[in-house]
Amino acid sequence: MIAYSGAVTFRKSGVGAGEGLRGALKRKLTGESLDLMDMAGQGLVYLASDARDVELIDLAAETLQVESSALLALGPDLSTAVTFTGLRGASSGQGLFTTTITGHGQVAVLSDGPAIALEVSAAYPLVVDPDAYICSRGQLQQSFVTDVSWKTFVGDGNGEAYSLRFTGSGVVYIQPAER
Amino acid sequence: MTFELVNHKVLRAAVAPGAEIVARRGAMLAYHGDVRFTPATIGGGFGAGRPGMGGLTGMAGRAMAGESSPLMAATGSGEVFYGHLGAQVTIVEMDGSGELSVEADRLLAFPATMQTAVVFLGTQGGVRGAIRGAVTGQGLFTTAVSGVGQVAVLSHGGTLALTVGGGRVLTVDPQAYVGHVGALTVTATVNAGWREAVGRGSGEAVQLKISGDGTVYVQASEQKL
Amino acid sequence: MSIVLNPTNLPVDDNINPYAFAVDLNGEWFMQKGRMIAYYGQIRFNPLNTMDSLQAMVSAQFSSPLYARDWVVASGNGKLVLGDRGFDINSYDLDDGNLTVRAANLLAFSPGLALKQSIVPGFVTLIGTGKFLASSNGPVMFAEPPVRVDPQALVGWADCPSPAHHHDAAWMSSFLGAAQGFFGRVSGEERQLDFTGAGTVLLQSSEIVLEDPSILAAATEQTNLLSTSQLAALQQTITARLQS
Repeated sequence: MIAYSGAVTFRKSGVGAGEGLRGALKRKLTGESLDLMDMAGQGLVYLASDARDVELIDLAAETLQVESSALLALGPDLSTAVTFTGLRGASSGQGLFTTTITGHGQVAVLSDGPAIALEVSAAYPLVVDPDAYICSRGQLQQSFVTDVSWKTFVGDGNGEAYSLRFTGSGVVYIQPAER
Repeated sequence: MTFELVNHKVLRAAVAPGAEIVARRGAMLAYHGDVRFTPATIGGGFGAGRPGMGGLTGMAGRAMAGESSPLMAATGSGEVFYGHLGAQVTIVEMDGSGELSVEADRLLAFPATMQTAVVFLGTQGGVRGAIRGAVTGQGLFTTAVSGVGQVAVLSHGGTLALTVGGGRVLTVDPQAYVGHVGALTVTATVNAGWREAVGRGSGEAVQLKISGDGTVYVQASEQKL
Repeated sequence: MSIVLNPTNLPVDDNINPYAFAVDLNGEWFMQKGRMIAYYGQIRFNPLNTMDSLQAMVSAQFSSPLYARDWVVASGNGKLVLGDRGFDINSYDLDDGNLTVRAANLLAFSPGLALKQSIVPGFVTLIGTGKFLASSNGPVMFAEPPVRVDPQALVGWADCPSPAHHHDAAWMSSFLGAAQGFFGRVSGEERQLDFTGAGTVLLQSSEIVLEDPSILAAATEQTNLLSTSQLAALQQTITARLQS
């Protein structure tokens, strides 16, 4: 929150919306932490983080998988959960789990530079740099491309030694910067 | 027009005799023409009855006192391109009716003909005002710029200009606060509920409450420059 | 919501937004490592020294052993999306021309161009006909000589002679300047690069310099030539710079 006007109260959410005690336990065990606060009342609130760009995604009974560090805000009718992502996060430091959001409503996602939405379909499988990946929605399968031994050479900070390959049907959002 | 934005990170400033520019040291990216750079300081004294002299006078004494001056005056004739570490530049138009209150290191450039002064925050809201300074990281002092002209300020990410007036109170995260213009009262308050909700670290419980008539500049980030 | 892109509507050899660029790959492109953020199609990325079939092409077009290990060849067919740490990316066309650019700012180029190491440390020269991509902190600005530039804001130059150092003589000879010099303080404005002649100078919008590990390697190597007292003097210079 950078500014607000009106009568608005802010309260720590405890745990993701609708997850309850079981969700809290799951997050503690998996290490996937989600720090949300509830805003209630009447007024105007301005939200921002680190001068990152904000991408608004409309969900219509779909599921969005998002890195918790990229989540800014979500509408009241959406529910969150922790899911296992498979080995994607193995060496990326992002953990093996991610946050999923389901339902109807808007989600505000953060991106370092304007986000780019790329379609995945049977005709167009997509390969993505895990450090540029922000979130994805639809029915997607994820696998690894490990033919990137060159990335471990000097000159590329802490780049990943693999890429993410998406097949199925959906949309993947990337940012034009590596984490 | 003295100032023009080349893009959101770069300012083009016209320099001419009688129209010198004072700018943040090290922010010069390039220049055309015959321009020289010399140290300058914020003129004037502290506290209530500030004289607020222009930036070029009084520099010798201050510089020799051993301070490393954070400002440079551009004199001569030409045009200079200013920018700082990729921070976003916003031009604030001053029409002489209000005073711009801004942290010294958020100032990118201003015409030497405008008046500047260092102001003790205590005068803006008593002890609470001073606390505000400590919390925003401004220290106990801020820079006041007045007169007619354009002032270029820096922020991390875009700047929002929010108007305050009609009895409405605007609450602002102190780390996102850049500056304000007009007859505004800025005080720091502690909001217990806020502290628990945000829990980011120390100092997070404090919010700035702003009321009066004017415009507040807020950046899209909690990072200091 | 952003419009959803796919191989049929991705820009062809053009920016997607100021910070990302889509290359329509049919063959090869030289690319700095780690700049791929996504791709469609069949594309392989190989270090410069492992491409047997393309070895002749690679050795002809990329003659800079110093930078070779930071580069790869992207080959195949598909759409390649490039990004560089959130910096602005712009593409430029050279038509039998030459342009010298800071190595750390050069993102990728088509093989019609040949890359050579410039005498100016940290810079490379591109010669020939083709397209290249350069990244910068903030949008690139073009200036025509005569112009003086903060060295950290310089991205490159085309057609005009290499720059010379310019010291703001008035600053150095004024009383205050001498005093500050005596105390070892720098204003940050004395060192400027001076461009003359006919051509174009490329500037970025800030003094943030993209790191080039080879300059550090070259500088570190040169410290072997210094005596103990010279090393102490160098240490003071480094400390002063870190504090400014």
